[in-house]
Amino acid sequence: MTRALRIIAANPLSLTGLILVLAIVLAALFAPWIAPFPTHNSAVVDFAYANSAPNGRNWMGTDLVGRDIFSRILYAYRISLGLGIVVLIIATPIGTIVGLLAGYLGGWTESVLMRLVDVFLSIPPLVLAIAVLGVLEPTLTNAMIAVTVMWWPWYARLVYSIARSEREEGYVLAAEVIGAPTTHIAFREILPNCLPAIITKMTLDMGFVIIIASSLSFLGLGVQPPTPDLGSMVAEGARYLPDSWWMTVFPGLAILFAVFGFNLLGDGLRDVLGADE
Amino acid sequence: MNKSLILAAALTAATALTSPAFAQTVLRVDEVAVGELDPAKASDYADSILMFNVYDTLVLPRQGGPGYDPHLAGSWEADGANYTFTLRDDVTFQSGNPLRAADVVYSLERMQEIGQGLSHLFTGVTAEAVDEHTVRFTLDEPYAPFVASLVRLPIVDQVLVAENATEDDPWAEGYLSGNAAGSGAYTVTSHNPQDVTVMALNEGYFLPINDAAPDQVRLRYSLEAATVRTLLSQGEHDIASQWLPPEVIRALAADGAQLFTESGTGAFYVKMNTQRAPLDDVNCRLALSHAFDYGTALQMVAINEEVSSGSAPTGAIPVGMYGSNPAEMALERDMDAARAYLEACPYDPADFNLEISWIAEVPLEERFALLMQANFAELGISSSIETLPWALFTERVASPENTPHISQIFVNAVTGDPDTLLFGMYHSSTPGTWQSPEYLADDQVDAALEAGRRGPGEEDREAAYAALNERLMELAPTIYGYDRQSVFAASDRVNAPALSDPAMAFGVDGMGFSFRLMEMTE
Repeated sequence: MTRALRIIAANPLSLTGLILVLAIVLAALFAPWIAPFPTHNSAVVDFAYANSAPNGRNWMGTDLVGRDIFSRILYAYRISLGLGIVVLIIATPIGTIVGLLAGYLGGWTESVLMRLVDVFLSIPPLVLAIAVLGVLEPTLTNAMIAVTVMWWPWYARLVYSIARSEREEGYVLAAEVIGAPTTHIAFREILPNCLPAIITKMTLDMGFVIIIASSLSFLGLGVQPPTPDLGSMVAEGARYLPDSWWMTVFPGLAILFAVFGFNLLGDGLRDVLGADE
Repeated sequence: MNKSLILAAALTAATALTSPAFAQTVLRVDEVAVGELDPAKASDYADSILMFNVYDTLVLPRQGGPGYDPHLAGSWEADGANYTFTLRDDVTFQSGNPLRAADVVYSLERMQEIGQGLSHLFTGVTAEAVDEHTVRFTLDEPYAPFVASLVRLPIVDQVLVAENATEDDPWAEGYLSGNAAGSGAYTVTSHNPQDVTVMALNEGYFLPINDAAPDQVRLRYSLEAATVRTLLSQGEHDIASQWLPPEVIRALAADGAQLFTESGTGAFYVKMNTQRAPLDDVNCRLALSHAFDYGTALQMVAINEEVSSGSAPTGAIPVGMYGSNPAEMALERDMDAARAYLEACPYDPADFNLEISWIAEVPLEERFALLMQANFAELGISSSIETLPWALFTERVASPENTPHISQIFVNAVTGDPDTLLFGMYHSSTPGTWQSPEYLADDQVDAALEAGRRGPGEEDREAAYAALNERLMELAPTIYGYDRQSVFAASDRVNAPALSDPAMAFGVDGMGFSFRLMEMTE
């Protein structure tokens, strides 16, 4: 653990990523205590302070109904991170199991599973998510489902490629010779060798999930008002550019920092885990 | 596709120039898609702009006052339910065909047969051509505002339309949705209903046109507010649509844009679907209409000290129209009354989950949606906000199950007469249009609406609409948000007396955009 920290700290970019991610996670966790206007995450209007530029009271200005943008960004991080975590927690095991089975068993299992994966991968991700949300109602839960549907095939692909090369390795053959059951070989022998790649990808993906979820809500398909969401804040503010720039710039920067942070951290983790091999 | 259209338009315009030494003046305006060019289907603001410029009508509203002046008609006589119009004999259509009484008869029948747009204004009207230039209208029953409604009867060129009709398309709807067949001051150079309509001055117009009137007009559809804001500041746009949010208009005015206004005698209406629980109960609706924060709504639409898009509402009928309440009786928020009505509402507020919709092209409505969400939350009512593009909204309202609980609509009297504001919204025979997402069906309302249009005297109409107003307040199918006028931010390249001088105003929505009356200053 300390060795991992040392490797990350040695690379200024990775360290920046770690700091950004920690800051965002803490901001999201403690939003109700940090936010100057914790009630502004819901259907509150305060027209006396509507559309004001950043000032001492509202550090990032207010939106058109007078809600504090800084407070809403903190709460929006909760939604974005929550969504990212849920999506990855669901998508990763599904993709991993599919990839492991296909990669280790081969034969018709491989053909069926991987062609199914190809079907999903052949549809542009945002289009797939929009289609799912078109059928379902646009809500937070359904946005999670939509993003999960488009995400698991990438894990299947990743794990499949690793499992395929690992199944020819000596330790797998040895396990087969002593008669270990298939599930043991797949999950206890091969899976641990896939984990570094999976964890790295999860960290990198956190940023991308946040972008996709924001894109969906930018299009009005994700989180619905009055719940704050970075994508819908950008969409709403874009109409008032360039005069009320703060409505777009700060939520946009918030997305940038999140994606940037998780990407840099992901790269750092790759160094850490790669060094383990 | 776009580029080639623009190129084609530019080429046509260029070849139309008689003397290349004169620079063409171009007026650039925008509105919300879809731009419906077929005059029989015209209903909203963009359609009206097209209709009033490409087509002509028998009469025009008198500028700066009540009443109607002859236009295509030279004169007319009324005799009970019969109206006889004598047409001018110097009018030719853009095709070169002369205007005849038969064209008027054909235009009316075409509109009635197609049955869309504002055809409901002409139910029970028949027309016959008495001679080449005389046309007689006969009404099944007396309709006091008949002459007013003629401002919504654009006259089409029967000969040209009939040439383009086919067996499957007897009224040439396909042709007229993309081509003009009118006598108006502007011809259509190109038309893409989602993108842009390019119009050019009709040199053969039957009335003299000011030399400064724009030679070409580009009407673009559904531009983003930020785009219009930037284009106007850079001098690349001339008149912004009225749908810009107040903040943007305010910012433009601060940058030196002039503000045009047009009162089409209308209002901002928050319409409740009376066919869906819980809003099928009058007490639930009354609770919402008392919880609405009228004062804040007015603050939201004020542009500056002098200009605002709204004034305080007093009831269902805008101040100044037949049957309206005096301006002192402004509606106000009353939370105690709202709570009392909610007590009497048979549904549990916790289960409400109202769908509050707003029209995607009108960002201001999003704020009203948030305002209502906050207002209703104070009563313990939860709601969700839904964004509907205009085209989708007009589709959804066709059935009561798909119509949102709450829709936000700006409605104007399309002819300036209260009948055309109220009949289409509240009569039980016209449900499921964009004007009537309430799906109201009430005998007393129907009776008052019918009495109002029957007239014949002004006093009869005043009494009928006063009764209607009272009944509509009791039933509360709608939250009467505010009385409204349209505000347009414009560059200083254009003068539009009909939009800036009350003495020149038409009092009919969209007619201020008669481009032939505008003046380009550079």
